[in-house]
Amino acid sequence: MFFRLILVIPHLIVLAIFGLLAFAIAFISWFAILFTGRAVGHGMQARYLRYWTHVYSYVLLAANPYPGFEGEPGSYPIDAEVPPPERQNKWKTGFRFVLVIPAWLLAGALGVSGTASWYSSYYSTYGVVTTVALLGWFAILARKQMPRGLRDLAVYCLSYGLQFWAYVLLVTDRYPDSDPLTRDYGKAPVSDHPVRISEDDDLRRSRLTVFFRLLLALPHIVWLTLWGIAVVFTVIANWFVTLFAGRTADALHRFNGAYVRYLTHVSAYVDLVANPFPGFTGKPGTYPIDLQIAPPERQNRWKTGFRIILAIPALLLAGAIGATLGLVAVFAWFVGLFTAKMPVGLRNLGVFAVRYQAQTYAYFWLLTDSYPFSGPSLERLAPAPAQVPEPA
Amino acid sequence: MAVRRGLLALGIAAALAAWIFAFLQLWQTSVPGDLALPGLDPTRYFSQEDLDRASSYQAFLRVDVLLALLAQLAALGIYAVKGPGFVRESAAGRIGTGMLLGMLGLAFVWLSQLPFGLAELWWERRHDVSSLGYVSWIVNDFLAAGGEFLFISLAMLIVMALAGVWRRAWWIAAAPALVAVLLAFAFVQPYLIPDQHPVRNPMIAQDAEGLASAEGIPGTTVRVQETHNLGGSPNAEAAGFGPSRRVILWDTLLKRFPRPEVRVVLAHEFAHLSRDHLWKQFGFMALLALPIALVVALATVRRGGLYDPASVPLAIFVVAVLLFVSLPLQTAFTRRLEAEADWVALNTTHQPEAMTGLFRRLGRLSLAQPDPPGWDEFLFGDHPSVIKRIEMANAWRERNPGR
Repeated sequence: MFFRLILVIPHLIVLAIFGLLAFAIAFISWFAILFTGRAVGHGMQARYLRYWTHVYSYVLLAANPYPGFEGEPGSYPIDAEVPPPERQNKWKTGFRFVLVIPAWLLAGALGVSGTASWYSSYYSTYGVVTTVALLGWFAILARKQMPRGLRDLAVYCLSYGLQFWAYVLLVTDRYPDSDPLTRDYGKAPVSDHPVRISEDDDLRRSRLTVFFRLLLALPHIVWLTLWGIAVVFTVIANWFVTLFAGRTADALHRFNGAYVRYLTHVSAYVDLVANPFPGFTGKPGTYPIDLQIAPPERQNRWKTGFRIILAIPALLLAGAIGATLGLVAVFAWFVGLFTAKMPVGLRNLGVFAVRYQAQTYAYFWLLTDSYPFSGPSLERLAPAPAQVPEPA
Repeated sequence: MAVRRGLLALGIAAALAAWIFAFLQLWQTSVPGDLALPGLDPTRYFSQEDLDRASSYQAFLRVDVLLALLAQLAALGIYAVKGPGFVRESAAGRIGTGMLLGMLGLAFVWLSQLPFGLAELWWERRHDVSSLGYVSWIVNDFLAAGGEFLFISLAMLIVMALAGVWRRAWWIAAAPALVAVLLAFAFVQPYLIPDQHPVRNPMIAQDAEGLASAEGIPGTTVRVQETHNLGGSPNAEAAGFGPSRRVILWDTLLKRFPRPEVRVVLAHEFAHLSRDHLWKQFGFMALLALPIALVVALATVRRGGLYDPASVPLAIFVVAVLLFVSLPLQTAFTRRLEAEADWVALNTTHQPEAMTGLFRRLGRLSLAQPDPPGWDEFLFGDHPSVIKRIEMANAWRERNPGR
């Protein structure tokens, strides 16, 4: 484990050579599809994609065994399902270089495009999956186990990367699916996280409010800032209370909880994960993307005392996921403007990102001592029950 | 009953009289009432070629502005009818929904003005009045709309909160409250103007110090704003009050105008501050806001008044119509203030030739028509025309022959 980056060097060399071959085949395939509608060298490409998945699963710590060099199907715990050869649309093939741009950007933000795209560089991240691997490396050294959430998130990123490369290499003309809920993460995670998200969005978007979304959000941004100033002090007060009493004060918990919920509503609105203009109070049960926050419970004093340090990994990951959320918003803006709809895949990715950020804030601001769950698999669980509005 | 009616009539008459009295007070300026402008021929100051060019340039802009105004009213008219449907785009409760509908009204206005704004820019670029790119213009205009969105949100918050307390009489408190918000914006605005720096030219700095003292406002801050990348004609402005009070000169003015003309500009802007023009403007706004708020309250009664967010689109339309109708009064008022600032500048600098030179240069640079049609001045002339300003300089010289 400790030497994984060194151990993987032979694979990276083989993968690079294999990759050059795959690109050469894709180049020939492009002409072949334009003339005959069918790609060439499908078996070779499928093998390359499987091998890519195995190697990256290994290097990004999503799986443990040392992979083989052949890219054999079924030979590795995290495997690639490559579709059989099929007829491909000539138009989609002819303009593949242009059509691939959004997927390339998203793959860059997730860290599986093979290159650091300008977008992820702008956000000073190397993508979500790279952050996952870095955090996973430390976690495994300490606990001998990859945390479930990080593993699931790595699986999602790798799965998107696989679809992206299959599209780039002309193995299929199906566009990469960004929906984290369509992936198989194995056994459902057991989660009783006190901060959960519920989604009741109908995917409809108003073109006018989509076009002006940033300007419409300005009053919320101003209010968030003003409220946030007060929250700085209430969080500090709550830290002392929790440290001494072992649980947060009810009033402070309610106040800070309402702020995190409001932040979630506004984030969902700005990033087009939801459609309606949110209220200004963070009241539960008032928004399609809502946050359920459990009442105050006992918290570990050690975890409270060192919360700033403990929160760093979650904040790092929240930053990388936040960059992806920004990209979701940009895509959703264009799609919403033309179709007045939000693609379900992007919406679900957005819900995951908003939820992870909310759990991170809840942890950082002492609403809970449960660490944020980084896996998108959590959203596959039954939605949290609607919460009875808190008394005013 | 009759006594009550009589008292009501008396109250209305007293309010009307107070309104007229306050208006007349604000209307007063220090420009002598018997000042007769000599009535000059523009060809004495501008070549026929310049006049023809300005005339053709302004003719297009006039049509563009008129069409833009009509488009704005039409857009808001449509919004008044269709706007209540946008209530379903909100999960924000009564006041929040009102804020959303207020902002969407501005969104309609922005979209309706876009083609006319672009046409204006195209025309300005064609005549070398502006060098701004189309995309930059759209982005700047979109971002600048952010301030308006924030203002209308705040206005809706105030109005709808007041309507929650006083369902029918909200307008009495709303007018002064809105003017107070505008005042707050006016106070902050000078701090938000980008790319400002102190005057670096020691001679101009010295002039500014002397002129401010001469006008009774020593120590007034003067800043230079870097605007050479924005295109457009040189300009200057007086902004803010209290600690934020300042005169802002565009760097293009300092680069392209001789010192005596810059002195006139400085004296003119100081005059706005020394004669409390900002406060007069706000007084005038308050006077205008009161009847407008009353008409809005009456117009929206059938839709549940401004308590109901669904009546916000209609309220915005009514406000736009009333502002359009009162446009001649507004422009006449600001024209008077500008004329007073010119007069004070002449009294301070004693340089009518410099003022004449300034407006000749400004007129040529901005392709302003020195003597525009009467209806244009009546509707849109928020400054005296170039020829009237030159006439005032001449009138000052005739009144002060020894100076």
